[in-house]
Amino acid sequence: MRARARGRLLLFLVAFAAAVVFAFPIWVMVTSAFKAEPEIQAIPIHWLPHDFQWLARFREAAEFAPLWRYFFNSTLLSLVHVAITVFFGALAGFGFAKYRFPGRGFLFFFVICTLMIPFQILVVPLFIEVKAFGWENSYPGLIIPGMMNAFGVFMMRQYAADLPDELLEAGRVDGAGEFHMFLRIVLPLLLPALTSLAIIVFIWSWGTFLWPLVIVQDRELNVLAVGLTNYSQPYQHAPMWGAAMAASTVATIPIAGLFVFFQRYFIKGLTAAAVKG
Amino acid sequence: MRRRRPLNRRWWGLVFVSPVVAYFAVFSIFPVMFGFALSLTDYDLLDPPNWVGLDNFYALFADRLFLTAFANTLVFVAGATVPVWLASLLAALLFDQAFRGRTVLKTLFFLPVLPPVVVVAVVWRMLLHPNGVMTWLAGAWRGVTEIDWLTNTVLAPLSMIAVHDWAAIPFFMLIWLAGLAGIPPELREAAHIDGATPLSTFWHIDLPLLRSTAVLVAALSTINAFQTFTLQYVLSPDPGGPANSTLVLGLLVLKYGFQYFRMGDAAAISVVMFALILAVTAAQLWFNRRAS
Repeated sequence: MRARARGRLLLFLVAFAAAVVFAFPIWVMVTSAFKAEPEIQAIPIHWLPHDFQWLARFREAAEFAPLWRYFFNSTLLSLVHVAITVFFGALAGFGFAKYRFPGRGFLFFFVICTLMIPFQILVVPLFIEVKAFGWENSYPGLIIPGMMNAFGVFMMRQYAADLPDELLEAGRVDGAGEFHMFLRIVLPLLLPALTSLAIIVFIWSWGTFLWPLVIVQDRELNVLAVGLTNYSQPYQHAPMWGAAMAASTVATIPIAGLFVFFQRYFIKGLTAAAVKG
Repeated sequence: MRRRRPLNRRWWGLVFVSPVVAYFAVFSIFPVMFGFALSLTDYDLLDPPNWVGLDNFYALFADRLFLTAFANTLVFVAGATVPVWLASLLAALLFDQAFRGRTVLKTLFFLPVLPPVVVVAVVWRMLLHPNGVMTWLAGAWRGVTEIDWLTNTVLAPLSMIAVHDWAAIPFFMLIWLAGLAGIPPELREAAHIDGATPLSTFWHIDLPLLRSTAVLVAALSTINAFQTFTLQYVLSPDPGGPANSTLVLGLLVLKYGFQYFRMGDAAAISVVMFALILAVTAAQLWFNRRAS
């Protein structure tokens, strides 16, 4: 029994050390957002701000670059992507799972193929295409490419396939149209899976960097991920680490919030996306 | 009198999938085809594209910058796969055990998954300042006050790998944990009763059942690493530098395409990357099939 207790203690110590090492940079990010600028690179490190700044670094970040505008743009982009992927992903997933129409196998293969295309392959031709649409440097150009993710179709097809056919038949007996039945019966039943899907799509879209970088030039149109580089490598200006850490904290809060409030769906979404992504 | 018959039910399926199919035709499949065509041309966005056949590909294999980027990408892939695979498995095994404080410590360990990659890069750029915190941690005890983490041609690629792995290990731990959760506990209990040591239980029971997870982690980490770009772009004071030591294929696409406006060459590099990634996916499928 004593050997076992010692084993447990050893496990705890190893886990503790690993947790400290991996959490350390996040700790530095959050505490630095509240430090005075000279304190940030202080050696030895100040584990907590000695001169607590409250929101001064955030204000500084918002004065140097349109931080809240970036935040708004990132939010808009992510929410549109979530709404489109969740709704049309569920609709198509249901269509693929519960209807036998000609061309079904081919069309599903067609959609799944797009899962294998890494975005970096698309960036050059997509840029030329979107430019030809006249969407360069605009919200449609920023948001529309990438707003639908084939993973959503794939995931929803699996969940829709598990829905009992009797439920759908019961809906039909009541005289509901097919689309009405989708809205009233299928969508509510898919809700838990849709929550996981919404979270994973939000995380992906919130962090998207390459596409906004090439398609948007106006700082008023840019997203937080690209805007952040204004602080770490400002044009003809020394790096503003305090503002950079404040803005980085702002960029992490929405994801951290999802993690705290929807932990189970968060983990499920990440795992599902990895397994079939 | 003819009655209007409602649309045959099965056609509704086609109606439901058509928005998605139309969207992907325009924003995925067409651009991919277009990209292949583009890789066979010279195009600078101003003059109409000029057909050159496979010349862009021949040129790539004589292009020093491309060969450098190719080699750097392979080094990055090596550093971002094998250590991540091992460390994330060990972390999962650790946090799969029962001990006090496990949930809290696991959550702390998991924190690097939360910030977007750009945030990871910005925060680490500060930590890896030549006189910064990491130098203090690594050098203070032996009197070193300055380390060129990001501006030394040997250290910079290693720093990129270390930062990438810091964020990737907790993520892949999650995948391993999901795999471990799928192993019926009775199997382990039976092995325990039969007098198996924890190590042999792991070797003979867990590992064979984790086979598809093992292939998945290997494939996914390789595919992600081939596409790396954000870290090299944001973390380094000079994207791809110093002296092109962190120039990777993803960065070269951006450089040729949007800095030099050599769209044909950029598209050709994309095609090469696509081929590499498809090869990894094919290997994954082959391994999975052999397993079952």
